[in-house]
Amino acid sequence: MEQEKNKLIQFRHIVKEFDGQVVLKGIDLDIYENEFVTLLGPSGCGKTTLLRILGGFLEPSEGQVILNGEDICEVPAYKRELNTVFQKYALFPHMNVYDNIAFGLKIKKMSKDVIDQKVMKMLKLIGLEGFENKDVTLLSGGQQQRVAIARALVNEPSVLLLDEPLSALDLKLRKEMQYELKKIQQEVGITFIFVTHDQEEALTMSDKIVIMKDGEIQQVGSPEDIYNEPVNQYVAKFIGESNIIPARMICDKKVRFDDITFDCVDVGYKENEPVDVVIRPEDIDIVDVKDGKMTGEVESVLFKGVHYEIMVETVPGTHVTVNMHVNKNYAITSEDGKEKISANDFYLDLEDMKDIDDKEIIARADAQAWNPETDEFISIHDIDTDLKQEVGEYTVTFSTNNKTSITRKIWVVDQRVVENKKANEAVSAFNFFKTVDEIKESMAIDTDLKTWANAQGWKLDDENETVDLDVDYDFDPETITEGVYKVTFWTTGREFKIHTTDYVEEGKEVGLTFFAEDIHVMEKMGF
Amino acid sequence: MKKFQQLAIPYIVWACIMLLLPMLLIAFYSVIQQGNSIVHFKLTLDNYVRFFTDKDFLLILWRSLWIAIKTTIICLLIGYPIAYFISKNSPKIQQILVLAITLPTWINMLVRTYAWIGILSSDGIISSFLGLFGIHTELLYTEAAVLIGMVYNFLPFMILQINTALTKMDRSLLDAAQDLGANKFQTFWKVIFPLSLPGVVSGITLVFLPAVSSFFIPKLLGGGQFFLIGNVIENQFITVGEWNFGSAISMIMAMIMMLLMMLVRKLEERNKEEK
Repeated sequence: MEQEKNKLIQFRHIVKEFDGQVVLKGIDLDIYENEFVTLLGPSGCGKTTLLRILGGFLEPSEGQVILNGEDICEVPAYKRELNTVFQKYALFPHMNVYDNIAFGLKIKKMSKDVIDQKVMKMLKLIGLEGFENKDVTLLSGGQQQRVAIARALVNEPSVLLLDEPLSALDLKLRKEMQYELKKIQQEVGITFIFVTHDQEEALTMSDKIVIMKDGEIQQVGSPEDIYNEPVNQYVAKFIGESNIIPARMICDKKVRFDDITFDCVDVGYKENEPVDVVIRPEDIDIVDVKDGKMTGEVESVLFKGVHYEIMVETVPGTHVTVNMHVNKNYAITSEDGKEKISANDFYLDLEDMKDIDDKEIIARADAQAWNPETDEFISIHDIDTDLKQEVGEYTVTFSTNNKTSITRKIWVVDQRVVENKKANEAVSAFNFFKTVDEIKESMAIDTDLKTWANAQGWKLDDENETVDLDVDYDFDPETITEGVYKVTFWTTGREFKIHTTDYVEEGKEVGLTFFAEDIHVMEKMGF
Repeated sequence: MKKFQQLAIPYIVWACIMLLLPMLLIAFYSVIQQGNSIVHFKLTLDNYVRFFTDKDFLLILWRSLWIAIKTTIICLLIGYPIAYFISKNSPKIQQILVLAITLPTWINMLVRTYAWIGILSSDGIISSFLGLFGIHTELLYTEAAVLIGMVYNFLPFMILQINTALTKMDRSLLDAAQDLGANKFQTFWKVIFPLSLPGVVSGITLVFLPAVSSFFIPKLLGGGQFFLIGNVIENQFITVGEWNFGSAISMIMAMIMMLLMMLVRKLEERNKEEK
């Protein structure tokens, strides 16, 4: 019991459902006296819901909210000794500044001179002396914000809840208010619970940050703890910028990634356990190639004011470029005009030759025959080809029962595989033929290009492990015309983001180094 | 924009012919002597003098204003709770309820007022029901009947105006009031009601104006026993054929209403300045 003495608020396994949707999945959280606590997370993570439960505007589906040792779940909002600053201030538009601030005191039926005294003190605290008779709707955003804070604080609550109070302000004002809020909190010496999705805001103001995602708490800690020791990839990405690399724990204090083993300070993981490693951009130093723990090529240098943001590629990506032949829509019409037939040229891998049949050839060539009047499909009856098990150029003729026919080319080629030993991966793709309409009609051109070119990437040491490919092209699918276009499929390799005050030239080979304690090992997140 | 303005010209011409011209004619008729000629006429204020010197007409004017005030107050007292109740529901149910309120107005007002004759007559539902308890009253052709008819006809305007004001209100203001310690009752009187006042004012306007000049409701439900200013005007035009006097009464009514509206607006403005 002694230990819980200054625990002001305890959330005990709070669950909240809306229409069967679980918004909070069992929140346990302690908040102490005089703390500036920030609930941080993207929209929809449940942070505002948690705040509204504490404020009494929502009831939890399960769990307890304990304030000063008492369960307050049954206490209505107006009887709770805490006050809220709402997202859009919610000032009463029919009252002036004075009456807005005095609202809570008048409800409590305090005497006129006490109210006067308290309101004036508040106006002084928020720096709006002389504004008491102003119409609140005529105040600027920042001034309304201050009135909203004063209106809540004047009731001398033990906790002040702030629901994204700065989100409606412009950047400069927001920064000012951040310092102001922190100052006010220290001056009045009560607990502030602040909800935001802005990580910078959270880092600036908080004593304690609670990071939430999908109705669950990811990490609770001081801004320094959370920045330096994020528990997982999500927290690392949410707070600040970071390099996150998949890695393997060799043993205590040894971690391996990108085929290099590094010393680190983390212990307690299983041998060979897959982990994520985070290295903050400012913890990496650029040195000569011979002094680096890793080496790489400078990809880009961006000037960011105080520092340069430099991208260094330590493991090159893999690229393969193919030709896309775009033909005009081409169909042959039979003499009586009752049938149309169309097909594409195509490339074929020598290895695929073994089990190719007529059906496959029709599919690869996208051969079709139809009646132009009724749009009914007509079956392709006959396929005539001189295809052989050899690299070379062949012809194929598709025809219907009525002898309407079209002749196309097949190129048999040896599969082009680009191997990248340093990155332990390989990529392959084929040249291909498409008509203008097929490209224009594509709903997801990136995915379609991969399918059409049969583009694939895999790990050299394990062919079953696929590697994600990106695709680059320099045509606009909406306005494409006939011609030959280059399409490149590529992998990213490994890039490190580095923040440094020293300029480095683009394209230079450099070494990268960091201390063992700059490597933060995190558990892999289950998605 | 210019093209758009040009498009409005036919409507403006139409409005002038159909609205402005008749008004000017009424104003004109009210200050000339006998007859409708606009070529040979003699200006006079006799029509106005006649109205203000006749006790009966002044009594009818007072009665008309008084019944319109009563109608407005009753509409407000019944309409506000209904509008408040509607605004408490989910948007979907609100839509249905608002539709239910507006539905009767799709039927001609005259027809609906005729229906009340049946309901209020001595063998109608109300009298028969009261008769069961030994209460025998004659409702039809009394002031009460006229009042019922007016409240019934004008209530939807009041409800809709107040409901709009209530639903437009920012919900977070109610949260804020609660947060600052106001219970439901205090939240209503300190926040909800003051913020719904614009709706109340326009509701009052929309009920009072037609009520004060209504003529067929007192005609049908008052049955000639209960004469209002609208009936007097109608009589002057249709039965007696004194267009000039009828026009003068119309002008007097228009001016009274204009004065009242100005008063309401002044009050509203002062209210705003006060805060």
